[in-house]
Amino acid sequence: MPAYVRFWGTRGSIPTPGHQTRRYGGNTSCVELRMDGALLVCDGGTGLRELGLDLRRRMPEGVEAHLFFSHMHWDHIQGFPFFVPAYSPESRLHVYETVPGDNRVQRLLHGQMKSEYFPVSFSELGATIDARHFSQDELWVQGVRVRCFEQPHPGRSFAFSFEHDGKKIVYATDSELDSCVCDPVLREREPEALRRLPPDLVGFIEGADLLIADGQYTDTEYPAKRGWGHASAATAVDLAVQAGVRQCAIFHHDPMHSDEVVEEKIQACRARAAAHGSELIVFGAREGVELKL
Amino acid sequence: MLVSEDRFGFDSDSTLVGEPGALTGWGPARRPPRLELLQGPGAPREFNLLAEEIVIGRSSQVEICIESQLMSRRHAALRRSGPDVRLVDLESANGVYLNGVRVHSAGLLEGDTIQIGDVLLVYREGG
Repeated sequence: MPAYVRFWGTRGSIPTPGHQTRRYGGNTSCVELRMDGALLVCDGGTGLRELGLDLRRRMPEGVEAHLFFSHMHWDHIQGFPFFVPAYSPESRLHVYETVPGDNRVQRLLHGQMKSEYFPVSFSELGATIDARHFSQDELWVQGVRVRCFEQPHPGRSFAFSFEHDGKKIVYATDSELDSCVCDPVLREREPEALRRLPPDLVGFIEGADLLIADGQYTDTEYPAKRGWGHASAATAVDLAVQAGVRQCAIFHHDPMHSDEVVEEKIQACRARAAAHGSELIVFGAREGVELKL
Repeated sequence: MLVSEDRFGFDSDSTLVGEPGALTGWGPARRPPRLELLQGPGAPREFNLLAEEIVIGRSSQVEICIESQLMSRRHAALRRSGPDVRLVDLESANGVYLNGVRVHSAGLLEGDTIQIGDVLLVYREGG
């Protein structure tokens, strides 16, 4: 049974409409996964609005969707108030809490729809929306095994792994990988050398058919952005190589990066993977592209 | 299918894919979106994309017929919605590669390359 992955928003931090970003897209994080009938949505950035419009066309009888938020920073939740299925009484939406004993996803989805921020309140949404919690970092959704893994990011963020019928997809954005390389001295001294990452992180991603990875910065840019919670694309490639990933989509493109800059970043990533002797397929996540795995 | 007299700077045929009526809306100063066939049987050649759905394949029954053994009979479709054109793999045997990455579907933009086996196409936006 194939799995389908579609990118609805690939930009980091803030939407960037315009000619300079037309190829990779200006909407913020949102990825749709379809695995054997399960509709799984990773993050609700502004790309979620476009997904909602498409779902209304595809599923006019109502939508059942499972929403996984890596975290609740603006660029990952701003699309939710514009998600058309949330207004439909025929829709059922399940949102997932990753932090035990914490209802931050529900709280902040409600919060951003307070009248100070938005004219329609959460309570006016027509859909049935329920919250579910991860237990032991794992749960099952319509036959799909879903696991979560905490990543280095201000305010905490989580990666998600989705496994079904021999296919594994990992969504791992907003992760400052460079802050947790095993040998930071080597990283500075020999930037071309493979950057070892913690075994538990590598194990979480191991064997993925597709890794969607934060690769916001170039190596040159990263030092000035240290502590902002994002990775150098080169380090994301090294993670994918160590984990034996088949394809790696560099994601969460910097809002300052034009399409040409993203393209240069991706070419550098491909050269790096090849220099490591890896057959990893690297590409830039592009709005509107759908993969079949 | 119509074969155009207008060569658009190409040395070989340009083909209009779609009904003649579909030309309405593309004024004399505007051009419809098109595909340039750069490599593969029949290259070089250019196809103007006028119909709402255009199928690429090996079959003589499809709108863009390219007789490559690596091409399925109905390999991929181009679906037009206003100025936007979406490429969709029709469950082909050998897949569709957009700028080197195998995709199931994607919106096309100026200069995108589409590789199907030994066939290389480049998408050109209208306007």
